[in-house]
Amino acid sequence: MSFIDRIDPELVRALDLMPTERFAAIEDDPPRARQLTEDYQRILRDALPKTDVTIAETSFQGPDCEIPVVIYQPPTPAPRGGLLWMHGGGYIVGTARADYHGVGFAEHACCTVVSVDYRLAPESTYRDSIADCFAALNWMVGNAGELGIDPERIAIGGGSAGGGLTAGLAHYNRDQAGPALKLQLMLYPMIDDRHDTPSGREITHPAVWHRQVSLAAWKMYLGAEYGRDQVSPYAAAARASDFSDLPPAFVTVGALDLFRDETIDYAQRLMAAGVPTDLQVYPGVIHGAELSVPEATVSRRMRSEYRDAVKRAIG
Amino acid sequence: MSFLDQVDPEIVDALIADQAERYRAIGDDPLRGREMTDAVNREARDKLPPTAVNITELTIPGPDCELPLAIYQPPGPAPRGGLLWFHGGGYIVGDERDDPPCIEIAEYVGCAVVSVGYRLAPEVTFREIIADSFAALNWMVDHAAELGIDKRRVAIGGRSAGGGLSAGLALYNRDNKGPDLAFQLLIYPMLDDAHDTPSSHEVTYPAVWNRDVSIKAWKMYLGSDFGSDEVSPYAAPTRAKDLSGLPPALVTVGTLDLFRDENIDYAQRLMAAGVATELQVYARVYHGAEMKARDADVSKRMRLGYLEPLRRAIG
Repeated sequence: MSFIDRIDPELVRALDLMPTERFAAIEDDPPRARQLTEDYQRILRDALPKTDVTIAETSFQGPDCEIPVVIYQPPTPAPRGGLLWMHGGGYIVGTARADYHGVGFAEHACCTVVSVDYRLAPESTYRDSIADCFAALNWMVGNAGELGIDPERIAIGGGSAGGGLTAGLAHYNRDQAGPALKLQLMLYPMIDDRHDTPSGREITHPAVWHRQVSLAAWKMYLGAEYGRDQVSPYAAAARASDFSDLPPAFVTVGALDLFRDETIDYAQRLMAAGVPTDLQVYPGVIHGAELSVPEATVSRRMRSEYRDAVKRAIG
Repeated sequence: MSFLDQVDPEIVDALIADQAERYRAIGDDPLRGREMTDAVNREARDKLPPTAVNITELTIPGPDCELPLAIYQPPGPAPRGGLLWFHGGGYIVGDERDDPPCIEIAEYVGCAVVSVGYRLAPEVTFREIIADSFAALNWMVDHAAELGIDKRRVAIGGRSAGGGLSAGLALYNRDNKGPDLAFQLLIYPMLDDAHDTPSSHEVTYPAVWNRDVSIKAWKMYLGSDFGSDEVSPYAAPTRAKDLSGLPPALVTVGTLDLFRDENIDYAQRLMAAGVATELQVYARVYHGAEMKARDADVSKRMRLGYLEPLRRAIG
């Protein structure tokens, strides 16, 4: 059966919405890919219904430079839980204006969402990206009072590259004895630079996040470390050997996602280490489909499962 | 951390209330194991609220002897979907009057449930048990009109040993060109006689399905094949080399289940073989919790997690 025949019929039209041009540009011309991504994000943003969530853009002094953040506040009384959000985009593209998730979590889990504009590859590598996310986490907890956040109810999360940063940050934060975390939410996370699993070879269709673009993105993100035996687990969490004392995890991925097997394997290793871990894998689902075809039945299920998980953890 | 400390607080009392003695008896004294299990099941049946589901018991001609069935019919117009159900009990104990899950499925999905009183080990081995299952499937499809079942909406499913039997029957049915199946529902299925995964070594707590009783049960179910390299995939589906062409599957299991890893691995292999597969793994949940602590939040989520997809498949 062809790849397209295996996609949930309600999701097939996602292939037309995800321009192959954008993935090609990630390899060849990152600035242009960023522009194309921003155009696509704007379409998703404009399609969102009106919301009572306030959206504020600000910045704070990071380790090397100012780091922009976007803050999503629901109209419910403080203190609330706080979710640090890391956007997707293969570590190469994307911005903190991830309204779809920011508004969604703020509304559904009644939490404050802080979305961070971490530095991107190839201008910088994973060390800077992780440092920015860790700085944002500390800034968020350090300013909990002002942000209306209960510092005892902190979660981190992200989709795709943002899910990979979430996994890496969970390790980094543990090793640096950073703030206590109630949840790490990983949506189809980009955690393994090797793509050496069945799904890592299976998904080659140019209109979805596929093997070739993913390897090119890893090359930029890892810089000189790419292709080595020793890659930092903060960059590629699948490389980690110590899974103890990580925060509870919620992990989800589609069965037709390039990251399917690495995501399942990672969840399995968390479970074996005694980390309370929920795992949901959906049939017929391609990378990021719940955002591009939000009204599909399976998109609704996927979204409501991961939003509920945040609500249970910090709501 | 002890096993009990890892369990979701909402379901821990039900675990503490369970009897280690019953699990010991299943492994060491099957007749006593059956008596104790019958008592537990009778008590669970008596606690159920009144239902509009009509329950009838009958026998059909099996491959070697009469085969008892219990049929659960919901109110409402026929034709409806039909689920062939296999009770749990390690292939050693249990019977077709598996009212708690069967009534709930008939009510929620609006399908007929045909529950099979297959023969048990150690009196027989997997060959007879698979033969009984296949006979029941053919009988159900041959009598679809009388049963008010739409032949295009037939599923198989079960819990624990019944889930293993469902997976084995899916393979056997494919290889013997049996009826078309719309779905296989595998609730923490007992699939792997090798018990060589991390989770199979982890779960040794005596008052839940544990490593010791599970290995003894496999010994009885496989008979002289136990421990050989050539175990039939119909008995232990993880032994199957070819998983292509199987019906869409749902696999659900808790992280504290002995079967966690074999279930995840099997789901992963189904996906790699191109079978539409959903996988759900619930944090802090032990074997059978969703029926023992029925009102706990996680138990309800787990049951809805399979009831909904089953309804979409055959409802």
